[in-house]
Amino acid sequence: MGHSATVAILDVRPDLLDALSALRDRVDVARFPFPLPGAARARRTRQELIAQLDDYLVPRLRTPEAPLLAVVGGSTGAGKSTLVNSLVGRRVSEAGVLRPTTRTPVLVCHPADRAWFSDPRILPGLARAWSARPGTQDEDGAAEGELLRLEIDDALPRGLALLDAPDIDSLVARNRELAAELICAADIWILVTTASRYADALPWHLLRTAKEYNVTLATVLDRVPHQIAEDVARHYAALLTKAGLGDVPRFTVPELPESAGGGGLLPQTAVAALRQWLAHNAEDPAARQQAAQRTVVGVLDSMRARMPALASASAVQHAAAVRLARGAEDAYAEAAERIDGAVTAGVPLAGEALARWLEYPHCGREALQSALAEGLATLLRSEVDAADERIAAGWQRDRAGAALLAEPDGRPDRAAAADRIDAGVARWREGLTDLAYAEVRAARAADRAPADPEDAAALLATVLLGGRRGSAAGERLAETVGAQAALRMRDRAREQLEDGVAGLLRGECERRLAPVDGLDVTAQQQSSLIAALSLLQKER
Amino acid sequence: MGGGSRAATGAGAGGGSDSARGSGFGGGTRAARGSGARSSGGSYGASRSPDPLAARVDALGELLGLSRTRVSPDELAEAGALLERLGERRRLSLDHTVVALAGATGSGKSTLFNALAGLELSATGVRRPTTAAPVSCSWDPEGAAGLLDRLGIAPQDRYARRSVLDGADRVPGTDERLAGLVLLDMPDHDSAAPGHRDQVDRLLQLVDVVVWVLDPEKYADAALHERYLRPLAGHADVTLLVLNQVDRLPGDAADQVLDDLRRLLDEDGLAVGEHGDAGAVVLAVSALNGVGVPDLRACLGQIVAERGSANRRLAADVDRTAGRLQSLYVGEGAVGLTDPAREDFVDRLADAVGVAGAGEAAERDWARAAEAACGTPWGRLTGERQGGADRVARGPAGLAASRPAVDEAVRALADDAAQGLPVPWAQAVRDAARRGGEGLPAALDTAAARAEPGQPERPTWWSAVGAAQWLLMSLAVAGVVCLVAIAVGSLDASWWLPVVLLAVGALGGRALAWACRIAARGPAHRYGQAAERRLRAAAADCGRARVLEPVAAELLRYREVREQYAVVAGG
Repeated sequence: MGHSATVAILDVRPDLLDALSALRDRVDVARFPFPLPGAARARRTRQELIAQLDDYLVPRLRTPEAPLLAVVGGSTGAGKSTLVNSLVGRRVSEAGVLRPTTRTPVLVCHPADRAWFSDPRILPGLARAWSARPGTQDEDGAAEGELLRLEIDDALPRGLALLDAPDIDSLVARNRELAAELICAADIWILVTTASRYADALPWHLLRTAKEYNVTLATVLDRVPHQIAEDVARHYAALLTKAGLGDVPRFTVPELPESAGGGGLLPQTAVAALRQWLAHNAEDPAARQQAAQRTVVGVLDSMRARMPALASASAVQHAAAVRLARGAEDAYAEAAERIDGAVTAGVPLAGEALARWLEYPHCGREALQSALAEGLATLLRSEVDAADERIAAGWQRDRAGAALLAEPDGRPDRAAAADRIDAGVARWREGLTDLAYAEVRAARAADRAPADPEDAAALLATVLLGGRRGSAAGERLAETVGAQAALRMRDRAREQLEDGVAGLLRGECERRLAPVDGLDVTAQQQSSLIAALSLLQKER
Repeated sequence: MGGGSRAATGAGAGGGSDSARGSGFGGGTRAARGSGARSSGGSYGASRSPDPLAARVDALGELLGLSRTRVSPDELAEAGALLERLGERRRLSLDHTVVALAGATGSGKSTLFNALAGLELSATGVRRPTTAAPVSCSWDPEGAAGLLDRLGIAPQDRYARRSVLDGADRVPGTDERLAGLVLLDMPDHDSAAPGHRDQVDRLLQLVDVVVWVLDPEKYADAALHERYLRPLAGHADVTLLVLNQVDRLPGDAADQVLDDLRRLLDEDGLAVGEHGDAGAVVLAVSALNGVGVPDLRACLGQIVAERGSANRRLAADVDRTAGRLQSLYVGEGAVGLTDPAREDFVDRLADAVGVAGAGEAAERDWARAAEAACGTPWGRLTGERQGGADRVARGPAGLAASRPAVDEAVRALADDAAQGLPVPWAQAVRDAARRGGEGLPAALDTAAARAEPGQPERPTWWSAVGAAQWLLMSLAVAGVVCLVAIAVGSLDASWWLPVVLLAVGALGGRALAWACRIAARGPAHRYGQAAERRLRAAAADCGRARVLEPVAAELLRYREVREQYAVVAGG
């Protein structure tokens, strides 16, 4: 043991830490809300990155002299707890025949290293629990928040802590996530498998990840019946070599009654090799530096692939947001065009409005004006609904859009839109009446025969909305207020109508896109991720 | 090892009798479903007359046929594949039962297979994974070839056992009961070796009964529970779970593990057949030293003797598929066009045509005509001059339906009709309404033109009143002439008589015109209302023929489909 434990294995580099914390912030704000190809993976990568930065990389770089953490991970029933117990030399972690056994992760360290692990320097998300006796509080831990149980034992060398992680393939999903998180927090990964499991698909994923990050890694082939030990070990070695992991230290632990029964400890001879390897890594300064540095460098290197992957997923998300927005904007542009065409063709002067106009002025000015306003409102409602249908049809074909439509507020509130349209039309009608009053007053001042402003307003509305059918109204309007004034009124009123419709459609379109905007998928996300990566590369 | 001993008692007591079945292997559900169970009992080729599965299979075929043009093929792919599987399996021998041994790598499937077969047929080993291709062993292989072809077992991997030859080293009596068993040793489902899982997934679709071989190390693997046992929770009747390698567990640990396994199965939603309940059988065995293997043989013997597992498995498949299809066929709430919805639609169409305005116009027309006929001749002259401008303004064009209003009416109706329908059928209803609505405005215009009132009929009292007006006018003129004559002195008469004549003529004409206007109000209103009614009826006819009927037809089709689905789901 001795002084080696306090020797710094890396230099503290504030610039690098700053770059990492900037990178962490960027990763933290990245969002992948649309269920597009790669989004689930990106969300996982994001989580993993944050966990790895918080739990491992930043603490390791900030306090290079901290003890090494070796995490023991593997499948259910691989004998992780028995292995940890045997390495420590007493029962610190609950082992047993029922799966999954380890529900609360257990960290064992030398008494002198205790301070390093009791504060939230690493694994800040887990509350610490001290216990003298194992196996008393497992159930509570699952109930309220997540716990990391700390054990101290001077059987371990200084400068090394062992962590018994839950199963990587646990039936309890949270256990699985926790296991992945814990493994990511390790300086040294110890992956445990067994004679009957070494060909399972799942541990191989983990091995491949370890290779990708180039971490300091050791594998343990556990529970090997001695009569087949040689054959199985050879086969396992061949598989590892084939996967490019031939140089990884391998340790074989035989199947003994103790490993099956649970509770018992394996004889020291069974785990001596592994113990020695760990002690070497903890105590020999060169080995220690290499073990720590290799994982740090490996994780930093892995950023080069992981950040661009995140950035490209972010770009895909942004492209989807743009696509959805364009779909909505196109639909409303088409609606504007159709409304314009319909007004020119005199579509609002049909049905009730036309029936009134045919009877004008006997039916009364108010009746004609209301009927025309309703005709216009109906046209607008119908076109807005049609635009929403086009948007929905377009979005439905898009995975991002379909997900958005499935949200509770994904469909527009048609009643509210109808109210807004009615209010808009009422406003336009008021403007029309004001215009008529002003022009009639002007006409009166110019010594023309007195005209009824309400009549002028009704005629004006008919001219505007009636197309060819309403052309007679134009002649009558000219007779009433004069040709010049009639022309002026028509232009002004048409302008007002166009402005009103455009404003209304713009409002509806924005309302329709509010859920997309609310997701906050911006183009900057991608570039900021890449920028954070290049800053990191510069600082290394 | 509680499950094992229970099954053993069942087998020992009855040897395939109904009571034994009830205690051991999920009797309850089977009795409820009744698929093939009644025809069992060991008799070969017995008539399977009450076959509720047949009705469900037919209904599934109908369902798919009716849905093809309405539901996207992707969503029906699974049901289509199931229909095919149902046909295939039911055409092949139902006297054979295909039992597959499935499990993780290293759980001891091949060792158990050999233990059951009594011969070293499948290669065992310590290198993982060992078995790469399925191996079969048929007891009484006659007629099983079709099944094996369907399973895709390579000819060199097919073994056969004559039930008579078997059993030299076995408990007497058990061997004949395996007649009709086709046992399958499958590759693992969890190794890194490529293709193994695909093979397992394919075979699991095709076999009748699955025996999951678990071991103390892997019995809680997420790969097993999440990928297989949870989705197959409905297949508890045709599932056995065997905890192998109990020789590796010390003391009472095996019972603890079995209890834990039962707890996990409970969490998976897989019913465990305990205490005579229906559900999956859980056994503890050791293929290595033979503990529990006789129990397993007995259990398998019972299943094979019943000859109902194939149908039971298929029924479970149909249940599962029906569950997955539910969202396509079952909506929430009542289905159908309500009367208020129909009325609302007709009202909207009437508004779109403008019947209210047209009715009022007709009323005014009638009143105007009455005034023309019954007014004073003088008033008529001036009135015509004034009203001339209006006549011009009306122009030749008649009514025209408002397109947006028609669109809105159709959309509202479609929304109402589609309420509570599953998505594809709601879409079909909307499409039907939209198609009908396309030509509707033009059709409404034509109908309205046909229904427009002609010239109002002239009631006879108009002529009488008209004559009276002329008479009164002549009286007034006569009065004026007399007065003039008296004034110039050419007539010698008292002046009051012409004055009275003039007053009666002028005032009487006005009074008569006024009275007629009052009298005409009622008939004019009636005339206007009649015109409105006629127009409304014409619009309603149009809407009914073009939109309401196609929508109703679509709803009827959905109801038919819904009934077929009920047969598929609840058979």
